[in-house]
Amino acid sequence: MNQIDRNNTSWVRRFDWLTILFWAILTLIGLTAIYSATLGPVSEFLPQHIQQNFSKQFMFVGLSVVCVIFIQFISPRAFQQLAYLIYALCLALVISTIFFGVEVNGAKSWFEIGGIRFQTGEPMKMATVLAVAAYLTSRRDISAVKLRSAIVAVLIILVPIIAIVAQNDTGSALVFLPLIPIMLFLSGLPHGISVLMISPAIIGYLTLIDWRLGLASAVIVAVVVYMLEKKIWLSVGTIVAGSLLVLAIDIALHEVLQPHQQLRIQAFINPFVDPQGAGWNVIQAQTAISSGGVFGKGFLQGTQTQLRFLPEQWTDFIFCVIAEEFGLVGAGFVIIILMFMFLRLLNLAIGLKDPFSQMVIVGIVGILFTHVLINLGSSMGIIPVIGVPLPFMSYGGSSFLINSIMLATCLNLYLRQKDMSHFS
Amino acid sequence: MLSIDKDNRRLKGSLRVLQLIVALLLVIYLGRLVQLQVLEYDTYNPISQRNSVRQETVNPSRGLILDRNGTILVENAPVYSIYVTPSLFDTSKISLLATLMELPDSLVDSRLQGAIKYSRHRSSRMFSEVEFDIFSRIEENIWRLPGITHQIESKRVYPAGINASHTLGYLREVTENEFRESTNYRLGDKSGRNGLELVYESALRGETGRIFKRVNAYGQGISSFNNGELDIHPTKGHNLHTTIDLELQRLAEKLMANKAGGLVAMNPNNGEILAIVSSPDYDISRLSGRLDQDYWAEVNTDSLRPLFNRAISTREPPGSTFKPLMGLVGLRLGLITPETRVNCNGGYYRGRLYRCTAIHGNQTLEQAVMNSCNTFFYSLMNRIVQEVGINDWHAMLQRMGYGRVNHIDIPSEGPGILPDSTQMDRLLGARRWGLGDQINLGIGQGVVSASPLQVAVSIAHIANGGYWVQPHLVKAIEHEDGDIEQITGDKVRIEWIRDRDLEPIRRGMRRAVLEGSGRFYANPENVPTAGKTGTAQNPRGRDHGWFVGYAPFDNPEIIVAVIIENGGFGSVSAAPIASLIIEQYVTGDVKRPDLIDRMLNFVPRSSDVVR
Repeated sequence: MNQIDRNNTSWVRRFDWLTILFWAILTLIGLTAIYSATLGPVSEFLPQHIQQNFSKQFMFVGLSVVCVIFIQFISPRAFQQLAYLIYALCLALVISTIFFGVEVNGAKSWFEIGGIRFQTGEPMKMATVLAVAAYLTSRRDISAVKLRSAIVAVLIILVPIIAIVAQNDTGSALVFLPLIPIMLFLSGLPHGISVLMISPAIIGYLTLIDWRLGLASAVIVAVVVYMLEKKIWLSVGTIVAGSLLVLAIDIALHEVLQPHQQLRIQAFINPFVDPQGAGWNVIQAQTAISSGGVFGKGFLQGTQTQLRFLPEQWTDFIFCVIAEEFGLVGAGFVIIILMFMFLRLLNLAIGLKDPFSQMVIVGIVGILFTHVLINLGSSMGIIPVIGVPLPFMSYGGSSFLINSIMLATCLNLYLRQKDMSHFS
Repeated sequence: MLSIDKDNRRLKGSLRVLQLIVALLLVIYLGRLVQLQVLEYDTYNPISQRNSVRQETVNPSRGLILDRNGTILVENAPVYSIYVTPSLFDTSKISLLATLMELPDSLVDSRLQGAIKYSRHRSSRMFSEVEFDIFSRIEENIWRLPGITHQIESKRVYPAGINASHTLGYLREVTENEFRESTNYRLGDKSGRNGLELVYESALRGETGRIFKRVNAYGQGISSFNNGELDIHPTKGHNLHTTIDLELQRLAEKLMANKAGGLVAMNPNNGEILAIVSSPDYDISRLSGRLDQDYWAEVNTDSLRPLFNRAISTREPPGSTFKPLMGLVGLRLGLITPETRVNCNGGYYRGRLYRCTAIHGNQTLEQAVMNSCNTFFYSLMNRIVQEVGINDWHAMLQRMGYGRVNHIDIPSEGPGILPDSTQMDRLLGARRWGLGDQINLGIGQGVVSASPLQVAVSIAHIANGGYWVQPHLVKAIEHEDGDIEQITGDKVRIEWIRDRDLEPIRRGMRRAVLEGSGRFYANPENVPTAGKTGTAQNPRGRDHGWFVGYAPFDNPEIIVAVIIENGGFGSVSAAPIASLIIEQYVTGDVKRPDLIDRMLNFVPRSSDVVR
């Protein structure tokens, strides 16, 4: 009965137009910002190939629309069945890039075919999500609770990370990391252990700011773990491991890290130590955002943007352009739309019955959300600067295309959920 | 089924947790956005303002230097300069810049290294005095050259066709020390290094202005800020009205060309310098902007020492031009009267023979000045030494400008030598000097020396009735608003000089020109001139020729002193030049073109020892 109802309902009713609306809004804001950052008055100081970024991005938006529509005709089963193949192909591509790729800004992460450059790490993101989801839902006896399964799942994620680090694109590799706790958490890992898994990130981040904060957070994590798991030894271990981590990070900061990496961390903690050098990007980015005020300086009126004070303002620092020219109103709107989009996608996952579909959607949200956190965090000085694009808004064809395809996959999984039904 | 449901419930719970985390983190981010854009707006907005607005200092245009009639001697012309900020410069653009500049890559690179040595983050001048078309080419391509900026500056030009290098002086970049000691200079600014440019630096310089410009991250100026409301415009430097007579200076430089020597033409009544030449000189236009290293080295090492200002720094015995002063001293001391006669048998005998140039017979002071009779002045000096002492003699003559500086307003004025007993000890060795050394001083030889300026200033007392006048080159400073500050030199009556004592000496000098050694070349028609030739004995070569003269005789307007090194007798070397200057100044014209030609072709022979 239920099924008949679904069949009768036209796909127009079942398709999630809301997510597409969010996608369209973000894309349009992105295009506007790229236009301002490359074709505004600033274009006077930019080389020709940068000025072409807007039209290139425009073409990729067109291409993405075609892909988004095309994907809706694929049965979600295909994703599940082809997951390992796609994973293997993408991984092969990533590895071959290490040897035959084109180097851009020090990272050998681009493949060139017929004059078109493609970042091979991008499809790898989706392939990894599909593969992990396929593995963790392949048999009923596989679950993150079992150590063996958990290790296989972690390996599926770690291999591309290692390959992309080998491409010298640490920023892109970093984006994969959160998949580990998210996917394992989803696959049944106890809440307490999940908290434990993400705790190094939290403790590490706070230690960068102040080692006492790091220690305090280790204690809080231990308390939370105890409340969730009721195991004293786990909590004690947490405090010990946490303290060791704080110590390790402190030593790493001063002894192990390369000078340029230390400078970047230093610039994050206090950019004004070296305002002309390491702190330059941080100061200029925060200045751009802050000086936008509530209502912004107006389209094409941002002095930081148009006078070329922002580095990479069409990619990694695109949010600064939006915040400077459209103010809190514009930048806040972007954050809220992003939030709505992620919440909406997770709601779609909640509405589904098929665990593979759910996991894919959550994995994709995890990837996109990590991009957003790192990109906005870098721009606003919440974390040290890591060069990662802002989904749907930064210039970058391969990134835009794959992000759109990932989004389209989520919509497809929702639209054609009956294909995944165990009864069909 | 049950387990699936249970799993599903757990999954849904997990997803809600994830939703919560997403929402929480993004709310924190929103909070950070509000913090930045609302709470810290006042902190960062000024940074963005400062970023995009640059304060530029604008150098004022330097004051002009004019001649006594208002003709421009020194003015400013634009120079185009290229600056670099090394931290913003992309070293892969070196060859592009070199191509645009039409220079080898290596030169561009070495200039860049020099700039890095000064500062990585501040802009320094890479090239100055760039040709206009190269400059505009750089300007067109400036967007391809991050870190490169351009600026229009100014340099000194000399439109009047005179050189007057020692007088006008030149500009050079301030040294590190000057830059540190003064707040008025920025590194790369130029300041006066010699002559009037140095002495009147503070007047000529003007006040630096400030303008605010919108700039981009590469430091390129885009437009004015706030419609220029905050700008402080530079105040132009003051103009110097000099006492130089352009025509006279031009003639003097022409006549002094190809000779070594000095010339000073002065108004004897007020000390205004009408013309002043030191020859050989150097081309200031080649030192005015970008320092031409090769030329600088050439000028510095030239054996004729062109940097030495012979008009005011020379130390040569004044020779017979000293005799009128001796006469004045003798009369005042009562050792002689205008009627006192000394018999010249061709020399003066005092322990040994002091030679005269001829056998003059009985000579009064007037005749002795006219004939330049050594015997008369040897005998006078002998009596001064015996009856008064060299120290009083020294004191009297020092009042007249000998043996000290006369405070002319250009640098490196020499004091010359006028010895008293202490100085004799120092110059010749204690008790190693005697009467002979002192008697020799009486005819302006030996350990007495002077510059043309000192000769002119001292003889001016005879022309102007006993006044010491301070020689000076600037008579007025004109401010930008039109205010004019007049400058007069000091004028001091020398008490010991008696009017009646001047007459016989004036007559003697007049007759020297009419009947004496000056009769051939120093006696222009229509211009009654008084004067005295002189020959400075030169142990190293041919003697130096002196002449000092003034005119018109009854109402002097000009006094000219000239020394021609190795010129031999003053009557044939220095006198014609001084006389032509006098004629030009008094009549406005020269009626002896053949004499000009003669003097243009006059070449002193330094190697030819006449004696």
